[in-house]
Amino acid sequence: MRGIVIGAGASTGLALLVWVLAASIWSGEATSQRHSDREASLAAWDRVVTVLQHPRCSNCHQPKEPLQGDSRRRHSPRVVRGRDNMGVPGMRCGSCHSEHGNNEASRVPGAADWKMPPRSMSWARLPIGQLCRALKDPTKNGRRSLNGIVKHMQEDSLVHWSWEPGGTRESIGMPHDVFVELVEEWVRSGAHCPD
Amino acid sequence: MKFNVNGQEHNVGDIDRDMPLLWVLRDRLGLTGTKYGCGRAQCGACTVHINGAAVRSCSLSARDAEGKKIVTIEAVSGRVADAVRSAWQRLDVVQCGYCQSGQIMTAISLLSNIRKPTDAEIDAAMDGNICRCGTYIRIRKAIHEAAWSIAQGR
Repeated sequence: MRGIVIGAGASTGLALLVWVLAASIWSGEATSQRHSDREASLAAWDRVVTVLQHPRCSNCHQPKEPLQGDSRRRHSPRVVRGRDNMGVPGMRCGSCHSEHGNNEASRVPGAADWKMPPRSMSWARLPIGQLCRALKDPTKNGRRSLNGIVKHMQEDSLVHWSWEPGGTRESIGMPHDVFVELVEEWVRSGAHCPD
Repeated sequence: MKFNVNGQEHNVGDIDRDMPLLWVLRDRLGLTGTKYGCGRAQCGACTVHINGAAVRSCSLSARDAEGKKIVTIEAVSGRVADAVRSAWQRLDVVQCGYCQSGQIMTAISLLSNIRKPTDAEIDAAMDGNICRCGTYIRIRKAIHEAAWSIAQGR
C-alpha cells in the first residue's frame, strides 16, 4: 500500500515537473513572441509616424488654425476652425476649397469634405510616443477603434488627397498602399507605442 | 452647361468644366459687378453666393457651381442685403470701390448667419476680403450698423 502511494506520488511529481517545464517553455516562447510583436509594431510605427507628421497631414491636425504649404506657414487668408471644423459664416472651408478636387487655376487644393479634424485630434506638436497614444485613444481619434483607424487611413478623402495634393505641394513620400499596410501591421502586432 | 444665376437659368453652351465660375459670370454672362482681384482666393474681390454661402468665384470652377443657386452683387436682395447696402451708403464706406462688391457679399453672408456679430466674428468672416484703400474700420462699423438696423426691424 505504501509502495503504491509512493509510486503515485512520484508519478504526480513527474507530471508536475513536465507541466512546469512545458509551461516554462511556452511562457518563454510567448514572451519571445510578445517581444517580437512589440519590435514589429514599433518598427511599423516608426514609418507610420513619418506620414502623420508630414505637412500634408499635420497642417490641418492643428489645435486652432490650419497651416499651409510645405513650409507650414500660417494659412492665407486667415481662417479659423469654427464650431463644425469648417470655418465660420462668411469664411467657410468651402468658400475656396472645391469638393471636386484641386483647382489648378487658382492653385487652391480641394477634396470632398474639406475641413479640419476635431480639436481633440490635434497631434501636430506631440512627441511621437504621445502622438501614438493619442491615435489609439478614442477620445482623441474621433471615437475610432484600431480597425477604424485603419479604415480612416484607407478610405478618407482627405487622407487620399495627401497623395495627390496638386500644385507644387510635396506628396507623401511612400505609396498609399504601403502606408496602409504599415498601419495594419502596427495594429496587428499590438499597436505598441514608443515610451 | 447651365447655371442658375440671380434666379434665372442660363445656358452658356459647351465650356471647359474647369473654367473658374468668375469667367462664366463676367465673360459669358456679362455680370461684371463681381471683380477679378488675384485669381487665387486671396483677396475676396470675386465673392458671390452659392446656395446662400459666400464663395470665391475665382477658385470654384464651373462644375462646382452647376446646378446650384448663384447670386451676384447685381441681384442680391432681402432684408439683410438692404440693411447692408443702406449702412454702406450712410457711412460712405467705399473709397475706390474695387473690393466692395466682395466685401458686401461676405458681410451679407455673415449677417444672415449671425445677427449680432462681435468684432472678433466680423474679423474672422471678413479677413479674406482685402481692401487696398484700408476701409476696414468703416466696413466693421457698417456691419455693426446693419446688424442694429436689422434688429430694429428697419
